[in-house]
Amino acid sequence: MMTAGRSLDAIRPCLEGAVPAAIATCGADGTPNVTLVSQVHYVDASHVALSFQFFNKTRENILANPQVTVFLLHPQTSARYRLALLYRRTETAGPLFESMKAKLAGIASNAGMSEVFRLRGADVYQVLDVEHVPGVEVPPAQCPPCHIARLRQLSQRLAGCSDLASLLEQCLEGLASQLEMPQAMILLLDSQGQKLYTVASHGYPLSGVGSEFPLGRGIIGVAAQFRTPIRIAHMASEYAYSRVIHEHLAEAGLGNRLETEIAFPGLAEPHSQLSVPILAAGRLLGVLHVESAEPHRFGYDQEDGLMSLASLLGASILALQQVVDGPAEEGAALPLAAPLPGAPLTVRYYPANSSVFLGEDYLIKGVAGAIFWRLLSLHVEEQRSEFSNRELRIDPALKLPELDDNLEARLILLQRRLAERSRDIVLQKCGRGRLRLLLKRPVLLQQIAAR
Amino acid sequence: MTATTLNDEQVRFIESGVSISAASRDVRRVPSVSKVVGCRVATDRRQITLLVDAAQAGQLLRDVEVSKALAVVFCLPSSHRTLQLKGRDAHQVALAPGDAELAARHRDAFAEDLLPLGYALPFARATHEFQQEQLRALCFTLSDLFEQTPGPNAGSRLEQG
Repeated sequence: MMTAGRSLDAIRPCLEGAVPAAIATCGADGTPNVTLVSQVHYVDASHVALSFQFFNKTRENILANPQVTVFLLHPQTSARYRLALLYRRTETAGPLFESMKAKLAGIASNAGMSEVFRLRGADVYQVLDVEHVPGVEVPPAQCPPCHIARLRQLSQRLAGCSDLASLLEQCLEGLASQLEMPQAMILLLDSQGQKLYTVASHGYPLSGVGSEFPLGRGIIGVAAQFRTPIRIAHMASEYAYSRVIHEHLAEAGLGNRLETEIAFPGLAEPHSQLSVPILAAGRLLGVLHVESAEPHRFGYDQEDGLMSLASLLGASILALQQVVDGPAEEGAALPLAAPLPGAPLTVRYYPANSSVFLGEDYLIKGVAGAIFWRLLSLHVEEQRSEFSNRELRIDPALKLPELDDNLEARLILLQRRLAERSRDIVLQKCGRGRLRLLLKRPVLLQQIAAR
Repeated sequence: MTATTLNDEQVRFIESGVSISAASRDVRRVPSVSKVVGCRVATDRRQITLLVDAAQAGQLLRDVEVSKALAVVFCLPSSHRTLQLKGRDAHQVALAPGDAELAARHRDAFAEDLLPLGYALPFARATHEFQQEQLRALCFTLSDLFEQTPGPNAGSRLEQG
């Protein structure tokens, strides 16, 4: 249902929590009540939600009399608006609740009240009217960019990509240059569905590719679990990446150093964070995450833009998975090269968790580790250097997860880790769906059985 | 039962240029709410006069005329300290000499508090700006006083000072 008068969409900056709103209610006995709240959350064009934190007079009143009037100030222009609201329901779990909980954590932390604010519920109100109240207004300091126009340019870049690696790269480069979001990363869901792994990042000293993030924890994990955008406008310690990761590992009894061997790439003190789920064909594929050292960097418009971009990214990832690999030349061997010079590099493989160490240095684990071990084994045993994605998919020694897993993403991860961690072993693409393994030193393979 | 009064400190607080919003309600108990641009307390510390801009507060003024019910929230943004005052006998009164100056001082004092929080001065002043010819005064006797600073004590009734 559309609201009468001005659209709620046009006043979304008033709903960012930058300036408190006055909430007026009236009890069954006719006594009015007025209180200030920091969060009037935009739900859709005809609904807002208020945070329910305490059993107070406002709460008592809306249960007795659902009519509420809210006074809002625009945080840049000081334009005044009154909303006529009707209380409809309270949500105590789910996407809306999680979005508001995270946002509240940022607001509370900024106000030095992290211990005070706790979300009990999201009170959802129908917006019956939006009234523009007359009064002095100041012109906005700057004209916001047209997000639709920027998004259009970025979607054209993505449409030109013919493989996953360039899709991820173009997406992150486009976020930096077209949407002015230079710190960004893409995480994909592991086939087990319990964790996300970083497959690409932009704007960090260390890429963090291969690092893991638990599902359902922190801003990224909650965005994934609830398939909803999560946005925080201030530094919120309970959503700090390292805290989330370490708490999860401690609770899961995974004191395993491998889990944290690859450092997560995020900023140490992000003051703005926005995570959106990458969804396609009804499935969660991963999370697109952006952040900034500045507070209030991302608003509703950026959230909408990133959600649209994530949809496009999801559809493109699925579409590229369907692209047929290059002509099969399976088993094609290059002429046997002369023996490599130098002392052999010991490569150790632990089948228990498919982890691989180059000398003493951890490289990778999981599906990417198993694939790497298989490539090296075939290279040593059969003197092969070229491989096809297709043979890896059906290789009985690998037992790759069914369709759900993205082999291409695992290979990007492996390539990137090798590029960052080894001068002796290079993994390259050589045509669509084909790989070449290049060794600059002999290798000595050691498989370490589980004890 | 003794009448509810404000103590000296509370009087200073609500007159100091804090953010003020007032609410009333119509016969169908639909709430109305508006910004208040100034406040003064009588020497008895019970009679409180609020200044509003009629161009912004039309519904509030009409509702007060009928219901006489008023709730007013006072908040200092830099400390989050918040008080809510209520009255059952609110009514419009004539402006007193100096009320326009009082509202101007209130506007400037509020902007002072807002500046260190990172807001620009034009914005900070605009939030409590008013048209002098539209100023109206509402007076009420304090009937209830509540602590409303965010936290576990929010909403608790304060005894007279």
